[in-house]
Formats: sequence, C-alpha cells, structure tokens
Amino acid sequence: MYAFASTLQSVALLASLLGGGLALHDIWRGRADMLALIEKMHWVITGALTLASALLLHALYWHDFSVQYVASYTDLILPVFYRLTAFWAGQQGSLLFWALAVALGGTLFALTRAWRSLALETRLWHWVFFYAIMAFFTLILTTWSNPFVLQTPPRDGNGLNPLLQHPGMIFHPPLLFLGYGGFTVPACLALAQTLSGKRGTERAWFQLTRPFIILAWLFLSAGIALGAWWAYMELGWGGYWAWDPVENASLLPWLIGTAALHTLIIEDRCGKLGRVNVVMMVLTTVSAFFATYLVRSGVVESVHAFGDGSVGTPLTLFVLSGLLVAFWTACWAKGEGRPLAGPNSREGMLTLLAWTMLALALIILTATLWPQLSKLWSSAPRGLDAAFYNRVCLPLGALVVMIMAVCPWLRLSGGIRNKNALVGTAVCSLVGAAVVWAAGYRQPTALVATAASFGLVCNAILLLKNPSVLRSPPTLGALGAHLGMALITIGIAFSGPYAEDGDFMLEKGQSGRIRGYTATLLDVRDGRGPGYDYLAARVQIQEGEKILGLVTPERRIYDKFGNMQFSEVDVIPGLGDEIYASMLGLDTGNLVHVRISVKPLVNWLWIGCAMLCLLPLLCLWRSASAPSKDIKQSARNRPC
Amino acid sequence: MTRSKNTPLYLTAFLLFLGGVGYLCWSGFSENSIYFLNVAEARTLSPDKLVNARLFGTVAAEGMEKQAGGAGVVFRLEDKDNAAQTIQVAYSGVVPDTFKAGAEVIVEGAIKPDGRFAAKTLMTKCPSKYQKENRKS
Repeated sequence: MYAFASTLQSVALLASLLGGGLALHDIWRGRADMLALIEKMHWVITGALTLASALLLHALYWHDFSVQYVASYTDLILPVFYRLTAFWAGQQGSLLFWALAVALGGTLFALTRAWRSLALETRLWHWVFFYAIMAFFTLILTTWSNPFVLQTPPRDGNGLNPLLQHPGMIFHPPLLFLGYGGFTVPACLALAQTLSGKRGTERAWFQLTRPFIILAWLFLSAGIALGAWWAYMELGWGGYWAWDPVENASLLPWLIGTAALHTLIIEDRCGKLGRVNVVMMVLTTVSAFFATYLVRSGVVESVHAFGDGSVGTPLTLFVLSGLLVAFWTACWAKGEGRPLAGPNSREGMLTLLAWTMLALALIILTATLWPQLSKLWSSAPRGLDAAFYNRVCLPLGALVVMIMAVCPWLRLSGGIRNKNALVGTAVCSLVGAAVVWAAGYRQPTALVATAASFGLVCNAILLLKNPSVLRSPPTLGALGAHLGMALITIGIAFSGPYAEDGDFMLEKGQSGRIRGYTATLLDVRDGRGPGYDYLAARVQIQEGEKILGLVTPERRIYDKFGNMQFSEVDVIPGLGDEIYASMLGLDTGNLVHVRISVKPLVNWLWIGCAMLCLLPLLCLWRSASAPSKDIKQSARNRPC
Repeated sequence: MTRSKNTPLYLTAFLLFLGGVGYLCWSGFSENSIYFLNVAEARTLSPDKLVNARLFGTVAAEGMEKQAGGAGVVFRLEDKDNAAQTIQVAYSGVVPDTFKAGAEVIVEGAIKPDGRFAAKTLMTKCPSKYQKENRKS
C-alpha cells in the first residue's frame, strides 16, 4: 500500500513535468490548444498528493511501524492527536504537507472566477511556473526525502519528545508551511502576467490573488508567534526569541512579505512600482525556500538540530533559479514610467518602510550566515551574538513603528492630510514617552519604540472616529494589525530589557524576594501523570501583604526518555507584571531550586500577536464583494 | 511631480538611510562579533583569542560533575568529529533539561588561565522533530 503512496508521488512528478512542458510548448508555438489538457494536470497532482497524505495519516493512526517515518516520530502510547499531527513532525512529512498545501492552493485558485477572467497566455505562463514548483517538490519527495521508506517494523516507535507535545509546537510548523506555500500562487501569477504582456488589460495579479496574499501572511505571522509562545511556555528559559539561525530563517519571508504588502498599496492605489512588486512577491516565495534551506542544509550551526542536509543542494539550486527568474522578468518587463511622489508623501513613507523591512531582512540574513562568510578570509570563523541583533535590529524596528505612526496622516501624493491628527499623534507619543521616562524606564530604543506605539494607538482611536473607517472591514482589519503591532512593540520593549530573574534555593517555608514580590515555598509534592512522574514545587507569590496566587512549576521524568528531566513552567498571568516560575531541581539537602522571573507587560506581546494574526481576516471582506471591473485601470487615473 | 524632481530627494534619503544602517551594522560587527568554533578549531587558537567565543561540541561521557555551591556543571566538551580533542568547561547557572553525556551543546564564554572554558551560557541542541537521533541516548 505504501509503495503505492510512493508511486502517487511519482505520478504527481510526471504530471507536473508534463503540464509544465506542454505549457511551454504552447507558449513557444504561440497558441493555447492544449490548455484544457494542461489544466487537468493540477487535478492529477492534487489528487495524487491528497491520496498520498491520506495514506500517511492512515499509517500514523494505525501505528504502522513498517513505515520508517511513523516509527521515527510516534510510538504506541502517543495520543491520537499527536500521532496524526506527526504528519508534519519530520522533514519528509512536512515537505509532503507543504507540497499538498501548494497543490490545493493552485487547484482552489483555478476554480475561482478570478482565474477564469485571465487571458489564455497568462494562464499558460502561470502553469509553467506553478508546475515547475510542483515538480521540484515532488522530485524531492520521490528522491531525497520520501516519507514512505519501508523497513522491518520494530515493536515500538521512538515516540515524540515531550517538549514537542505542546499545542504551540503542534500548530507552529503547519502554519509556517501554509504561510510559505500561500505566496506561491501570487508569485506565479505575478510572473505570468508580466511575461504574457497582459498587465493592464486584465485585473492585476495582486487583486486576483488578494485572499492568498492575506492568508499566507496571516499564517506565517501566526506560525512565528506560536513558535515564540511555545519557546516561552515550554522551554523554561523565560525567553521567546533567541536570534537563533532557525528563528531568523522564518523572519526573512515575513519581513519581505510585509514589505511587499506595503509596496502593493502603492501599486493598488496609484499604479506604480509594478516591476518592484513582481520581484518582491517572487522574493517572498523564494525566501521561504531559502529559509527551509537554512534550516535543513546544516550550513549554519544552530541550537535546533534539523535534518542531515540531503535537501540542501536541490534547495540552493531552486533558490538561485528563482532569483534569476525574478530579476530577469523584472528587467524584461516594460517600465511604467511613473515616478513616485516625494518622500514627504504616504508613497514616500511606504517606500521607506519597505526599505527598512528589506534592510532588516538583509542584515538578519548576513548576520546568520556570518560564520560561513567569515571563513572566506579567516581560518577561525566568527559569528554574531544576540547582542548584535538587538543593537542593530531593534532600532530599525522602532523606525518601522514610527513610520506606521506618521503614515496615515500624509496624503498619497504628498503633504499633510490631517494636521490636527498628526499633531495629536505627536503629542500622544511625547506624553507616552514622558510617562515611561517618569516610571524609570529609560533604555533609548525601548523609549522611542514605546512612544511611537502610543502614537499608533492614538492613530487607531482617531481613525475609528471616522464613520467611513467603521464601515470598511478591510480598513478595520489593517488598523487592527497596526494596533497589534503597537502592542507587540510595547511588549518587546518592556519584557525584554526590563525582565528580572531570581534563582532561589529554598526549603519549606522559606522565602525569596524579587522586585517587590515575595516567593514562599509551601511544599514539594511528587506524583504520577500520564506517562511520567513529576515533582512539583508549590510556591506562593505575594506582593507586599497581598497574596497574588500559587505557582506550581514541575520537574518531570517521562517513561520513554530515561533519566532526562523536563521542566514544566507555571505563571501568574498579568497585564502588568507576569510572574514566571520554573523548578530547576532538588539538591541533596532537600533544598528546592526555583527560578522566579518578573516579566513586565509580556502579555501585551501575545495579545498583540493575536490581534495581528486574527483581525486582518477582515481584509478578506473586499475580496468577497470585489467588483469585477478593472480596478487597476481606474487606479491609474487617480491623481497620485 | 516629475522624475527629475524626486529622484535626488530619494537618492539623498536613501544615502541617509544607508548611512544610518551602515553605522548600526559597523558598530555591531565591531563590538558583537565573536569566534564560532568547533573544539578542534578552538584548540589551535592561542588562549588570548578565546576571551569571547562560542564553542560547538558534544558532552563527553566521562568527567561530568555538578558545580559546587549552586546550579551548574563541569564537563569535558568533545569535538564532534574528533573525540580526542576536548576542552574542560565550567558552567554556573541553570542546566538545560536535555543536557546529558552525548548531547550536542553550544557554550559561550571565555577561556581562563587554568585552561578551563568558563561558560556564561550553555545551550543544548533543540530536541528537534527533524532529527530522531536526538532522542537516542
């Protein structure tokens, strides 16, 4: 049965090659007489990959350890939820999941009215690129990374590491892959419309694929946020971002994609930056593959131990080809000849925002690869620590928030749109900065970022007073995302530099003090949970005389993982300070080693992430009710 | 608005932006750059160069003991490819859950006159879903 699943992947590869080849042939001949056949290929690909995925789920559900992949990531006691989600637990399965997501996206798009409105030439070019990507995926799945490799079944599987049995880690990978995959259809159509020469005669690619762009960005944002939340809640070190290469890799497509979202506004409203946007969208997709390359190739040392590098070379070649195609297409395309408005316009500010986002991506990329790059001139490689990223990236992040605060009050074509609102925003920022300064928080970058965030919140309030904003779900969605960004900024600005940790060795009844809080060890209890033994310290937290509550951090030893101990943290959540407790051990004299941390405003970060990932769903509204007229043409006539 | 009017403005803005970003990067590269070395590479460098370095290696099976007087551990760090190349590491602080003999770890700190590497951070490689070998002990 699983040999059949492997065959299905090969069928998908052949269909991709055939579809792409026929599309190129038709383009070469200057006709579209095989388009009907070409368009059937995506059904074959999607059907084959869906069936292969179903077979993998079947193997996971029924503990079929004859499939090496199933034995590697599950065992007999793993609950069914974790067993099924082990679909994306390993490299092979996650690549199959990514391929399936892209295939389904392509099929979904081919069923829309938007698709049917496209010229035949555009469709042919779209299939060339789409099938090329599918061929790449299925080639990897059938050769270097096949999830259906068979073996003599062992009595039990390896099981899933307890640290990974957490909702954050279950949904983090698929959301990232949906994000990575979601940009594929827009990128293919951007290239297709440019090469077919139909730009301007049919609705623009970014309008037709707007739901894909928005959803891909949301999935990517949610995937990154969930990864950070998992690290905070599960790893027990109290942080959520360590600037590790693998974390940095996921930021690259997000930064480029976010820059693209904002340069697309300029094209949507004013019909400018057409070629730039094609490159940006392709770059977003290519950077997703590059992120995978960084994670899987072993090119950089990381605290995350991913893969053996077998897919490194094909990914490199694919990324280089993608870059070549993107820049060649942009150079080949006809320039639109319309200059941007001045830097003192909303167009100018959006451009500055894109520069900053791209600069951040380039800096993070260079810094991540620095140990490899430095080998070019030194035998002892050098790398950059977390302090480098904080020093360079956080000021640029603060600049992004400042731009966001100013932008709404400028006209697209230049000049101030609403002087009172701009003054209000500035006053609000200054008051915010003064309050934060008076409260004793004086780290310059944090102060500037917080001030800008106050301005952003002020913007949201002022804009919400406008009835036309309230009537427009997409505007509300964008506003919600910006408000979420303001809260994220405040959360990072405070929970990063102003967090405080206290390590205490306590015996029963003893207390330790940290920043106005008293932690008293009440007792230590042991017990048995499903598949593990635990030791839990009950610690009472007081602020002055007021009892805030109990935290019960645990040390666990799982049956399947020998003597390794795992920490289970506990928190007393708060919108001001959050108390974060982890149990570090028990010494021979029965002293309990606990770490109590105070994390100021950290929950604003998670609230902001939730807003950033959910509220932009409102932006889909316009797509559902979009007029079928040529919006781009009318945009070109606007006085931008 | 014409191209000739705005191009110099954007060029100036871009140069200013580049200058600011360049300054940030230059200061970061000059002050936050540290050696990233395997144990074998670290052994070839003179100790005065290892005042701030990140070492990658594997925890040796022998010679692991708890740090006296609080949390921490003293252990030998082996080169991943050549187990004969080792450095003794002393780390004071919270030892990660997945730290054990045979685990791949990353330590950051400085070499001391007694030849020990005093680590201020100790990270074990994440128990990744993508490498089952991590779970074999």
